[in-house]
Amino acid sequence: MKRKTWMTLAVATIVGVLAVAIAAVAGIGRAAPTKGDAAVKVALVTDIGGLNDKGFNHLSYVGLQRAIKELKVKGRVYITKSAADRKPNLQAAAQDGNGLVIAVGVLFEFGPLDDVAPAFPNTKFAGVDVDWSGLTSHPPNVRGIQFREQEAGYLVGYIAGLWETRHPVKGKMVVGGVGANKVPAITRFLAGYRAGAHKANRKIKVYIDYANDPTFADQAKCKETTLNQIGKGSRVEFEAAGACGLGGLSAAKQKHLWGIGVDADQSFLGPHILTSATKHVDLSVFDAIKAYKANPTGFKGGFNKNYTVKNHGVGYGKLSAKLSKADRTFITAKANHIAKLIAEGKIKIPSK
Amino acid sequence: MLTAVIAFFIGGLVILATTKKNPLSTYRAIFDGTGLNWFFHVGSHKIGIPFTDTRVWFPWDTASRSAMDLQQTLIIVTPLILTGIAVAFAFRCGLFNIGGNGQYTVGAIVGVQFGVWFAGLPGPVHVIIAMAAATLAGALWAGIAGLLKATVGAHEVITTIMLNWIALWVGSYLVGFNGPMQDPRALSAPVTRPVAQSARLDVFWGFPTLQGLHIGFFIALGALVVYWLVLNRTTLGYEVKAVGFNAEAARYGGISVPRNYFLAMAISGAFAGLAGSIDILGWEFNLDLTVVQSVQIGFIGIAVALLGRNNALGIFFAALLFGALLTGTSTRNLDPSVFKPELAGNLTQIIQGLVVLFVGVDLLVLYVWRALRRPFPRRRVES
Repeated sequence: MKRKTWMTLAVATIVGVLAVAIAAVAGIGRAAPTKGDAAVKVALVTDIGGLNDKGFNHLSYVGLQRAIKELKVKGRVYITKSAADRKPNLQAAAQDGNGLVIAVGVLFEFGPLDDVAPAFPNTKFAGVDVDWSGLTSHPPNVRGIQFREQEAGYLVGYIAGLWETRHPVKGKMVVGGVGANKVPAITRFLAGYRAGAHKANRKIKVYIDYANDPTFADQAKCKETTLNQIGKGSRVEFEAAGACGLGGLSAAKQKHLWGIGVDADQSFLGPHILTSATKHVDLSVFDAIKAYKANPTGFKGGFNKNYTVKNHGVGYGKLSAKLSKADRTFITAKANHIAKLIAEGKIKIPSK
Repeated sequence: MLTAVIAFFIGGLVILATTKKNPLSTYRAIFDGTGLNWFFHVGSHKIGIPFTDTRVWFPWDTASRSAMDLQQTLIIVTPLILTGIAVAFAFRCGLFNIGGNGQYTVGAIVGVQFGVWFAGLPGPVHVIIAMAAATLAGALWAGIAGLLKATVGAHEVITTIMLNWIALWVGSYLVGFNGPMQDPRALSAPVTRPVAQSARLDVFWGFPTLQGLHIGFFIALGALVVYWLVLNRTTLGYEVKAVGFNAEAARYGGISVPRNYFLAMAISGAFAGLAGSIDILGWEFNLDLTVVQSVQIGFIGIAVALLGRNNALGIFFAALLFGALLTGTSTRNLDPSVFKPELAGNLTQIIQGLVVLFVGVDLLVLYVWRALRRPFPRRRVES
């Protein structure tokens, strides 16, 4: 009797194993987006940090909201709460029938996109800040989205330089730039900043320092570095440092000097923000959705889409309300002229 | 278990009050998201007999959403069981190990480094080396707190909390930008090199590239058995429990209290360190800065041990509950039309907090219950 039960179990197990094999072969095909859906469905997969991080994730969400409103697409956001969510979120987004899945954050480049994208060849993927050439599986359905930070840095450096030139203290002109850590994006911002300030005036002294904060969130470190530069006479402080830079900007406020924000237009922090080096993540997300909606099957991957001054992907933010009218008109006219030259490719900007 | 039920009930009222949604439908949505509905997938699969639409129960399906969700739930349950044991074992010795998170982090760091090294080794050997190193590292890390407790009497709650921060910031330095462990090919991201193919655990359910369920789950189940065996069938377990019941009495009985403090902490840390390496070798494959700084597995382990009452079976079910909650309330599962995604994550935390709170209340209820029933017979004894 007992022996018979065991035999039954064994047979059931073998059948089960066989079925697993069949399911493994058959299963993935079902991932294709359902045809005949009236509305275009897109998904946004954010990284750890949530929608209220006042930075990357938030901006990408703004872009999605705009697309939902203006393009009448159906959008859904998949929030990544822990590393264990990254791959399942991408997979679920594809399986839920979203034709375009946008992953936000460079960490999707190291594993998640490489593994998930090839499993869903009919779904298009885009990765904000993802470098396509860094993907080892070279998936043809993934588009990288990158920003030319040096152009934004150049513009705000130029504006800082103009202001210093018009308001030198005892003949001295000094500006400073602070980065959180030496990573490519930050180095690009700061290289552009130095070149831009020198474009405005060769005689300007530019200090560039790194706060060595790998977390991008330690405000005390950026504040210390900024105060060092202020001690050396700098009167405009560019903080290319994410949340770390908020510390530096508050230091500039305390000393009644100018601060320059980064990524988002940080003019909301107060009139001490001269301007901001903006990186329009929201625009890049909106653009990707727009391009996908216009031609879902023609949405190409396999390369990086670059955002520059020319396509309004990077630029400078609102000028401070504290500026005198004369300063404002002068700076606006000059900066817009330079922006035009950059867009036309007439200015070579170093990237490091 | 009463605890969990009450917590859910209160959580439901909170949902009702704040979002004006039906708590039952919300719970239904969470349950569907956990993947546990996979067991009830009656008739959901076409078997493809020509000219018919025959559907059968297909329990071995691997690619449906519920199968994927269940895989994800069990992937989270795996380290939760181990960090739950890490807290529970110390509890049995009368120690409160808050350092599970730090020990987990140390295990993950060592695990990823050993997974990157020795790339040529045959699979099982490589996996065992990496896991053993991580386990040892976790044991040493917790052993510091145990040693301090045993020698100078430093309170383990203070020392383990501090060791958590040390692990977090040392890990941040190692993994972060320009750190010694950062992938030289990935200058733009704070992430380590991926572990070698030979160090990765086999996936036995689901797709290996899509984060299927790896065999680390069985290691966690095995650890539960080990935990039970050590506590109930060995001298070490007896001594640990004796010290936990009453340290003075144990000392009087000839048991070395300091030795057991050290051993209990080290063994606890070993389980947490193992959890860290299993996550790395099972599905994560590399370690990035956001993980080092935001991982919560060790802290949830405290809730697991509390709810599971430090008992092997209890830990399993408590880990299953919390793991299921985490996947069930993730935004990919909780439909935004049922529950706002911004609030979904907070819902998990509300329920977790309530569970921990009610573990205490549970004891209070029992106490009151006994107090109400006792006066009568007790008075009779007195007279």
